[in-house]
Amino acid sequence: MEFGPALYHEFGEAWKTQDGYRLAKTISPDLPPGQLSSIFQSINIAGGWKSARDDDVKAAIKRGLSSSSARSDGIGQKEIKGWVEVYFAYWQATGILAEVQQTSSWTNAYEQWKVLINALIQGYNGHEFEAWTIPCLYVAGKHLRLFAMKADENTSVNDNSAAAFQDDFDPELQKHQKLEDCARVLNRVFSLCLSDRAPLEESRKWGLYYIINLLFKTYFKLNATGLSKNVLRILTAGRGDMPDFHTFPKSQQVTFKYHEGVLCFLEENYAEAEKHLTEAWNTCHKDAMRNKELILTYLIPCHLITTHTLPTEKLLEPYPRLQKLFLPLCQCIKKGELHKFDLALQEAEDEFVKRRIYLTLERGRDIALRNLLRKVFIAGGFEPVAKEGDKPVRRTRVPVAEFAAAISLGSEEKVDNDEVECLLANMIYKGLVKGYISRERSIVVLSKSGAFPGTGV
Amino acid sequence: MMPTWPTASPPQGVPAPNGYTATYPAPAFTPVQVRQTFGQSYSAPQPSYPPAHTYGPAQPPPHVPTNYQSSAASPPTADEQPRKKVEWPDSVRSYVERSFLPANMDPTVSREEMEAKLKETIMRASDDNLLYSIVWNNMPLPQQMIKTERQERAKAMAYSAQSPYGNAPVPISKKRKSADLEDVANLSITPPWRAGQGARLEDRVTFSKDKRQATEDSADNTSKLNKYEKRQKRFNGGYVSTYRSPSPPPGDGPVVGTCEKLEKNYLRLTAPPKPENVRPPRVLKNTLELLKKKWKKDQNYAYICDQFKSMRQDLTVQRVRDDFTVEVYEIHARIALEKGDLGEYNQCQTQLKALYKLGLKGKANEFKAYRILYFIHTANRTDLNSVLADLTPAEKRDKAIKHALDVRSSLALGNYHRFFQLYNETPNMGAYLMDMFVGRERLAALCNICKAYKPDVPLRFVTEELYFESDLEAAQFISDNGGQDLLHEKDGTIVILTGKAGQTFESHKTKAFARVDIKGQI
Repeated sequence: MEFGPALYHEFGEAWKTQDGYRLAKTISPDLPPGQLSSIFQSINIAGGWKSARDDDVKAAIKRGLSSSSARSDGIGQKEIKGWVEVYFAYWQATGILAEVQQTSSWTNAYEQWKVLINALIQGYNGHEFEAWTIPCLYVAGKHLRLFAMKADENTSVNDNSAAAFQDDFDPELQKHQKLEDCARVLNRVFSLCLSDRAPLEESRKWGLYYIINLLFKTYFKLNATGLSKNVLRILTAGRGDMPDFHTFPKSQQVTFKYHEGVLCFLEENYAEAEKHLTEAWNTCHKDAMRNKELILTYLIPCHLITTHTLPTEKLLEPYPRLQKLFLPLCQCIKKGELHKFDLALQEAEDEFVKRRIYLTLERGRDIALRNLLRKVFIAGGFEPVAKEGDKPVRRTRVPVAEFAAAISLGSEEKVDNDEVECLLANMIYKGLVKGYISRERSIVVLSKSGAFPGTGV
Repeated sequence: MMPTWPTASPPQGVPAPNGYTATYPAPAFTPVQVRQTFGQSYSAPQPSYPPAHTYGPAQPPPHVPTNYQSSAASPPTADEQPRKKVEWPDSVRSYVERSFLPANMDPTVSREEMEAKLKETIMRASDDNLLYSIVWNNMPLPQQMIKTERQERAKAMAYSAQSPYGNAPVPISKKRKSADLEDVANLSITPPWRAGQGARLEDRVTFSKDKRQATEDSADNTSKLNKYEKRQKRFNGGYVSTYRSPSPPPGDGPVVGTCEKLEKNYLRLTAPPKPENVRPPRVLKNTLELLKKKWKKDQNYAYICDQFKSMRQDLTVQRVRDDFTVEVYEIHARIALEKGDLGEYNQCQTQLKALYKLGLKGKANEFKAYRILYFIHTANRTDLNSVLADLTPAEKRDKAIKHALDVRSSLALGNYHRFFQLYNETPNMGAYLMDMFVGRERLAALCNICKAYKPDVPLRFVTEELYFESDLEAAQFISDNGGQDLLHEKDGTIVILTGKAGQTFESHKTKAFARVDIKGQI
């Protein structure tokens, strides 16, 4: 919005209704370049924007804000001073952003935007900004992250000038210089929100989850998921003094639960992961397809581990990407095709590793194996019926060699009996098969009542 | 303990301005600052000093503007020492003049700080006989240097101190960052995933004075200092000759070593390295050959490790990163592996990873395979995933890497049969790493076997499956883990009564899998 009556009016209106989101719109950088540059040029000072001196600009903004109706709604001198700094930083940012398409100096844009977010932080710390204005922090934080990533994209990785003076060095780190810096700034914002001791109604704690979600995204990108765990720990410690999680906007709940779930997932805590991901799944807006797809990416492997179930085709129907990702593997598991499972896993390894689900999906092999063993068991048929009218009993003593034959079937190489016994021992240990192995006689004695729990036989 | 940079304000080791101006401008004889005035002119934490006579001539530069002189007051008193006469070159004079030009003044840098800095700079140049060789016209003005230093210090605060050679008994308490993060305030300062990685050498240098300073601040400076002086004398045979520059000008580039000795004990740097103590790569190459021979002959790990650390240090301070660096790290890593020194091994491994990434040649595949095995040992799932993500298809076909990957997958699938086969055929030195976790995997396998087999299995079966050297070793292992009652003789062979094992090995297994914590782990 141009620096003129409209902006100051909007400022006043937002103030009157205490509408933080409305206020946040006045510092949005998310505008076409033309508009950005007209904002930059709209500053009303003698001699025009071209020869503008910082003090004159600040004075002009101050005049504008003071003239707004916020004045009568009780905004203090101190607060105005703080907002002047914010808008001044914003004004400078518009100047840079208007030209960023041509100059692609995203680093400058990032640095300037950091000035803005610092002005905001300063505002809360020293200028008595009120808690309802926190959406401004959202806008500032959100774009800080975006600018940081763009800046990193444009920075040549080979620019080793800084690294040359470093003792330890890691070329990887160069890639995310600005984003790391951004994480630091966001952390300050996080502390700013967390440390607010004001009563809940007017506390900055209402900004926590938005900021945490931003932090999560940043940490995930930086491959520093451990730090997200720390945020969670801090959150758990302070949860007593916080508004109830479910009173936060749903969008924030979903994002938070998704990340919390993925974090548990990465730690192999699948039960917890499933809990959080399911909550995210249930809360997610029905049309947010991309988000639902992301949730499923982790919920499906999770489910495979915890309940040994596969996704239905109906569930995957709207998500071609997930179909491509999971269906081949699922079919192999279902049919108990061990060798094909290995191939399918290998085939999509890169995709799986990228999403960090490879190590989890690999464990689906157990289910594939279980299904294969079950087939052998069923193929074994029934014991001869001893007495008329007795219920037929399946043959529960199965030679290891039969299982070995089945396991070797799909692949070229023959798996020896000791290894098969080892695999069987695993199945029994994990509770996927009920029974025991007799080493002496080289047979497996399966349970008469439910040799393969949960599968109907 | 965190910042290694002294927290004192910049005028390191320089007396208050009122001391030396009194003798001004006659340069023939200048007194050294009186002890008693230390700290009285500054409100900032005071630096502590090496004994005064370790300083070179504390001669002020000439041509300081007059108003400066007028602030001078106290005359020299006790403890005076003769100074050598110094002729100041014109270039130095004009440098001083330039520093005090009003146009160059910086409001954030106080006059005292500037004067102190100026003095320090010129003194050092004088001490090093560089007065005529330095291009004073290009020298940063003292106010600029102070500002740079401030930034450095701010950075040093942010990147917490971390020794590159983790085992050294130095104030490093921040090796693992996670605990600190519970403190929200800390969060904003340090990007912990970079801890110790972004810090420059200068930031890591610990000034041993720091610790003393804390105590001296609170007490009678004079007596403490005297005590310190005495002690210092004891240690140095009564004569102290070294002057350590308190703050090297930042960014003065790598050291070029001039030391010709082959062997050198490792000493954690507490000051910028001196060229005469640093061996250039040419010498280090001979050192490496010598050490290789000595290692073969004596197998004295303490000595070898120490020597390698000093080699690594010399390479680091000279910023030598080439194939030779890789070789040094690789050999040290192998020796550390052989001796089971995982902390040291891991340091080498971390550096090697970065070195390979720079495109340096070496045994990259061998060490990538170790890295995988190492992560299996530390059960570091996140990093394991990252390693997998980084491997190229060609690397996956490499013998050593493929072996490590197979080990991983066999464990993931609980296939102990395959795992112990792989253990038997480990290439290179991977077996040393696998030794680290073979015990716990045996326990896991035993748990499996006990649950799955009934009523018993021959001991020989366990010996073979779990790759014990002998039945005896297997039996010993079982007994050690509480299974002595399960061993029975049946028809002339020893069997394990798996059917009766119940939970026997479970608690041992859980304990063995409890998180592995290794010093220096990433």
